[in-house]
Amino acid sequence: MTPEKMIVANGISKTVSTAQGQLQILQPISFNVSVGESVAIVGASGSGKSTLLSLLAGLDEVTSGEIFLNGQAMHAMNEEQRAQLRGANVGFIFQSFMLVQSLSAIENIMLPAEIAGTANAKQRALDLLKLVGLDHRASHYPNQLSGGEQQRVAIARAFITQPKVLFADEPTGNLDAANSGKIEQLLFELNRDANTTLILVTHDQELAAKCQRQLHMHAGELTETAELSSIKHALNATQKRG
Amino acid sequence: MSSFSLNLAWRLFKHETRRGELTIILLAIVLAVSSVLSLSLFSERLQSALSTKSAEFIAADRVLSARKPVADAWLEQAQTLELDTAQQVRTRSMVFAKQHMLLAELCAAGPGYPLKGQLKVSDQAFSEGLPTSELPGPGEAWVESRLMQSLALNIGDSLDVGDAAFTVTKVLVSVPDAGFSVFAGDPKVLIPLSGLPATNLTGPGSRVSYSYYFVGDTSVLDEYYTWLRPQLDREIHDWNSVDDDDSPLGRSVQRAEQYFLLASLLAIVLAAVSIAVAAQRYSQRHYDPVAIMKTLGATGRQVKQVYVLQILFISTLGILIGGLIGFLLQQAVVWALAGQLDVSMDAWHWRPVFIAIFTGAVCAFLFSLYPLLKLFSVSPLRVLRRDLGANLSSRAIQFIASGGAIFLLMWAYSQNLQISAILFVSGILLVLALLLVTFGLIWLGRRLGQGKMGAWRLAWARIHRRALDNSVQLISFAITIMLLLVVLVMRNDMVKQWQDQLPQGTPNYFLINISQEQMPNLAEHFNQADVSLDKFYPVVRGRFVAINGEKIRTDISKEEESAGDAGRQGLGREANLTWNTQLQIGSKIVAGRWFDENTSASEEQMPFEVSVEERLAQRLGINLDDTLTFNIGSEVVRVKVTSLRDVNWQSMQPNFFFVIEPRAMAQFVPTYMSSFYLPIDDKPKLTELLQPFASVTLFDVDAQINQLRSIVEQVSVAVEFILVLVLIAGSLVLVAQVQASMDERQQELAILRTLGAKGSLIRWSVICEFVIIGMTAGLMAATFNELSLYLLQTEVFSMQATVHGQFFIIAPISGAIVVACLGGISCWRLLRLNTSHLLRQMV
Ligand SMILES: Nc1ncnc2c1ncn2[C@@H]1O[C@H](COP(=O)(O)OP(=O)(O)O)[C@@H](O)[C@H]1O
Ligand SMILES: [Mg+2]
Repeated sequence: MTPEKMIVANGISKTVSTAQGQLQILQPISFNVSVGESVAIVGASGSGKSTLLSLLAGLDEVTSGEIFLNGQAMHAMNEEQRAQLRGANVGFIFQSFMLVQSLSAIENIMLPAEIAGTANAKQRALDLLKLVGLDHRASHYPNQLSGGEQQRVAIARAFITQPKVLFADEPTGNLDAANSGKIEQLLFELNRDANTTLILVTHDQELAAKCQRQLHMHAGELTETAELSSIKHALNATQKRG
Repeated sequence: MSSFSLNLAWRLFKHETRRGELTIILLAIVLAVSSVLSLSLFSERLQSALSTKSAEFIAADRVLSARKPVADAWLEQAQTLELDTAQQVRTRSMVFAKQHMLLAELCAAGPGYPLKGQLKVSDQAFSEGLPTSELPGPGEAWVESRLMQSLALNIGDSLDVGDAAFTVTKVLVSVPDAGFSVFAGDPKVLIPLSGLPATNLTGPGSRVSYSYYFVGDTSVLDEYYTWLRPQLDREIHDWNSVDDDDSPLGRSVQRAEQYFLLASLLAIVLAAVSIAVAAQRYSQRHYDPVAIMKTLGATGRQVKQVYVLQILFISTLGILIGGLIGFLLQQAVVWALAGQLDVSMDAWHWRPVFIAIFTGAVCAFLFSLYPLLKLFSVSPLRVLRRDLGANLSSRAIQFIASGGAIFLLMWAYSQNLQISAILFVSGILLVLALLLVTFGLIWLGRRLGQGKMGAWRLAWARIHRRALDNSVQLISFAITIMLLLVVLVMRNDMVKQWQDQLPQGTPNYFLINISQEQMPNLAEHFNQADVSLDKFYPVVRGRFVAINGEKIRTDISKEEESAGDAGRQGLGREANLTWNTQLQIGSKIVAGRWFDENTSASEEQMPFEVSVEERLAQRLGINLDDTLTFNIGSEVVRVKVTSLRDVNWQSMQPNFFFVIEPRAMAQFVPTYMSSFYLPIDDKPKLTELLQPFASVTLFDVDAQINQLRSIVEQVSVAVEFILVLVLIAGSLVLVAQVQASMDERQQELAILRTLGAKGSLIRWSVICEFVIIGMTAGLMAATFNELSLYLLQTEVFSMQATVHGQFFIIAPISGAIVVACLGGISCWRLLRLNTSHLLRQMV
């Protein structure tokens, strides 16, 4: 039985210890994300976006609060359990692509499926590679691909396990305008087709506007501008149609 | 094990090998395995070749000496165990020819003698002999040149020995087990064992020694000895092996073996250092893949499996390649040496192969353990926070782990705690001192670097910024240089001391029985012939009869057999007594004190003083202040032991067991002995030289000296090759280290380049940095080289420690030059790549 909410965050905060003492980089935050929803987290550099993403995706432990992903209590899990949860439910796209340099494009795409032990990973990887338009580059290594191409491989990799939720941290941050456009298009297309929940971190207002909801980070605090953004979103949609 | 781990590990391994990512770590393992294999296989082969060679000096692998014939069952047991056996019976007897007579050593050899080594014979006295595998036939005797000379014998003459007569058919030039003592005894007469009974010389009361020779596998020999030992009687039997060999040769071989061991140990350390360097680099390069895998849901177990498998693949490949290279290298050396060494080195040994594989595996796993642990601890969060490294940060663990591993390897390999501990402790001290120096330098550099321009400033700035990295690098350079120095200097000192023992012009002939009247004429005669004589030593023959009034066994006395073991053990033959006011060169007092020259001759005090050779004293149980009694002619002389001497029997000089205070001997008429050197080409001069002095006896030790010298040369050549091997290993380690450190500099260089710094500025700053590091490393290495050499030479090699001032200049300069060149070359290579390529590689 799939829960209504994909992510439930209850007063999660993050404190790190530095040479100068304890530093709270995330004030207590509460919000929910529904299944299939797309959410943008926007804010200035250093405002805590990545920190929030790392907590939502289970890459890091919360200092306090509760967090549920797909109904499972992530705050009570250890790193191993979270790894398994990630493998089963989560896909990732990063600013710096994060491909394994010694694996070819196709092998990079297969990687999450192989970790999870999925059968026919190779066929699925080939299909996805075709989908992102790189089927002729299957055996190329990351350093033989352009930034845009690498990010397309990363997108294919993110979808191979058919994740329920996809986290993207500044996916176009390292790309030029033309490539950014292509990547955005691909990302939203695939997302819509698979009905994946999407959490997108960006400082790009235009990209954020393409999501159903925007959350604003400012100095570790979260403010929601849901209505405004949904109006913008509707406006965009009508403009495109017209 | 999941198929994922295996697949991924294999895939990573394949791609990374092809793309050259694994080259350095692979190279390090290959280096470890190949140097250990080549060094230890070579040294094992050489050792067994040399011990075969030294087995020749006792004519067998083991010798049982007895004063009575042994039970037949003993020999039967040896034959049951399939040991080769032979025997020889020796006694002293007068031999007669043409109305002359002379005391000779009669050797009756049974079939098979000598089991190791060869007899050399010739047809003419005092000429070079040719090896033969035969023994004299029935009724034949082979006699030594001295006897030919003294009895005016010719080939074909008849010689009476006891009740039997033999025909002299050959001149006996040498037997393999004659020993190196200058006064090996009376001239030898070799007859077949079957001819001995007819002489009637071995009846009751005669002094006969029986030698039984055994050859076979060490394990079988040991088994035999275990069986035999309970039946042996210490007073009658003596079991000898090559290893107890205290001859100059035995000592040289032992020292060489220790040197090989040392060199192999150092090779292991060198290899270990390079593996540690490479593994560190490997680990750092895999932080990202690990973070990615973890992010994508891989469990800790899966990550561990992937990397442990990777290491397994790498070490397997490394061991295979290293094994092959090591074998070829060693084979090349064996081939190259085949011409120069007259020993065969074909024996195959498995031990070095196992050691090499073991070393490769242990090095690969133990030295990559810490980097791997670090790698495993990388957080998945690194995918978001690029600067996040490993969570494990205690360097102490690394030092303890790799230090412990090195020590264990050294110990396990050498099975010599002392050698391992010495190397290890000086290594630790080196590391500690280097840490201090590094931080001192960095502090100093901050001041020096200020206000200066260009390359130097950049260099200092870099050294300063990466203090810890640089200290680690400095330490590994210094250790490498130090190890190379130790091996180099050790070899120089060892070879020099060997050669010093037998300098050119070492006397190869000895004259004894020179009467007091002959002495001036003889000196004059030699002077005219342009042959320089050494000093004349007075000699009086005396029989050693009692210690503290307690009679000792004099072997020639008739009562001996019946008296059984009652008396104390004695010397067995007459001793040459000399007197002297000065200690001989090469001897040193180890207990008591040398004669006081100020004692006036008029003081009529008995007993007089005597100095006894240390090992003889030990054997016979003589202590300081004991009173020894000698029979000289009809006189009885009592002397008190006031000193024990360590005599250098290797010096090939006249040496004596007993040196008596001159006053005590004033009443006796001595004969004199002297020695001289005659080049081999001048050998024909001998007859003319000695002709006027028929009563003087000539000893020819030329053959022994040559034999010794050739062994020393052969061992030196072998040592030289080992040195070259270690030098190669060390240079490869240096290259690996520089490459790894260039790797770390890559990013910085790329940034400098991007910021528009000129290539020459970057290159010079890198070269300056390496000059600083190389010089410091060289200086530190020279210092600690002295320390470890002192310990090694005094504690392990029992040689005289020497100081090597020159290395305090040579080491820093060559360290700076070599390291800077290597750094310059790899920097040049880096700078040739374009900047965007560099930057992309960094991601
Ligand atoms: N482990 C840490 N130690 C100290 N400061 C941290 C740590 N992690 C994050 N920060 C700080 O927290 C703030 C938020 O960082 P981040 O979430 O990366 O911001 P963003 O992604 O919005 O640019 C930054 O100021 C960052 O320096
Ligand atoms: Mg960020």
